[in-house]
Amino acid sequence: MSGQPLQVFEVFRREREGGPMQHAGNLLAPDPELAAHYAREFYGRRQESVRLWIVPRAAIRDLDDPDLLQPPFDRSFKKPAGYSTEIKRKLAEARARAGGEAGDDDPVVASCRKGVEQS
Amino acid sequence: MTTQTTEQLDQRTRQALADLLLAMADDEFVLGFWDSEWTGIAPVLEEDVAFASLAQDEIGHAQALYRLLVDLEGRGDPDLVAFGRRPEEYRHARLLDHPRTDWAFSVARRFLYDTADAARLDALVASAFQPLAGVVAKMRREETYHLLHMHAWMERLADGGDQPRSRLVQALDRLWPDALCVLAGVDDAPLVAAGILAEPLGAVEQRWLGGLAPVFERLALPFPFRRDDDHLEPTVAPPAGCRGPDRSDDFRWLWEQFTMVYRSDPEATW
Repeated sequence: MSGQPLQVFEVFRREREGGPMQHAGNLLAPDPELAAHYAREFYGRRQESVRLWIVPRAAIRDLDDPDLLQPPFDRSFKKPAGYSTEIKRKLAEARARAGGEAGDDDPVVASCRKGVEQS
Repeated sequence: MTTQTTEQLDQRTRQALADLLLAMADDEFVLGFWDSEWTGIAPVLEEDVAFASLAQDEIGHAQALYRLLVDLEGRGDPDLVAFGRRPEEYRHARLLDHPRTDWAFSVARRFLYDTADAARLDALVASAFQPLAGVVAKMRREETYHLLHMHAWMERLADGGDQPRSRLVQALDRLWPDALCVLAGVDDAPLVAAGILAEPLGAVEQRWLGGLAPVFERLALPFPFRRDDDHLEPTVAPPAGCRGPDRSDDFRWLWEQFTMVYRSDPEATW
């Protein structure tokens, strides 16, 4: 080759305008210039990409510490789904309270009804 | 000028246009097959994929040019032109009679061809023969990338230490005379007169060499030309019969390979 050791480049590609850059794969090249040539052939020769990012793997900050990414305590309250479970429970309760005579025991609904009757 | 209006051209101009199309198509076709020989054995897997893809591009260019030729002549079939001739009927430049040899040789050959072809395409992009101008515009978009790729390899081999450099120098010494054939072997005067070719091939050659001179100087590679005012005069001579009909045994072997399937059943459809 050109005397330089091969290094890994990670390639990201955009399939169509407005789409996200997504990881396509990786390749070996001695330098960024040849890496760009190879990326074009690997991920662009069939016109399957409108943009490529070619990044030396060495430039990527790798983070896989389980203490940071998979902490031991319950973190369900940080997930939107945690709230939606609670909201769904409250909604079900409200519906049950409403029963057949919808809104009879609700002062807001009662005052609205009164307003409608007076007009 | 469309294919229809070329019917008004005189016999010599029409013949020259047909010869030009066949020469260009055969150049691309034969280079494509030689370089495809690297599939599976290029220096690294990545280069293997890239070089094979470049080779496929050349076959695509040849296909478009054979189609223009068939349309111009109003008869025939591009596949028949591509595969149905004897080796001595091909009109590719002598540069493309050599086998792939080693990696430096294939890089040097492709670099010399691609740069000469680029100069030729420049003289055709505004061709009065519109079907050719259209094909050339598309070819140039791909050739720009091929040139970048080959420049990258020339630099890396030239600066790549003793063995890569000596092999590259050896290949260039061997290839230079035959490289002069790429811009030869076509009756260019009537093509220039008809506006099909922007300038004589001699002028195209000077543009090609003028562009290469600083590259070869910077990389300190063999460049067998003497500067005479603004003119670059070759100190090596191109061989006789730049575009055949005599063909090397290496090309005859390649011809056996690339026509093998076609010859087995010329009537088959794929």
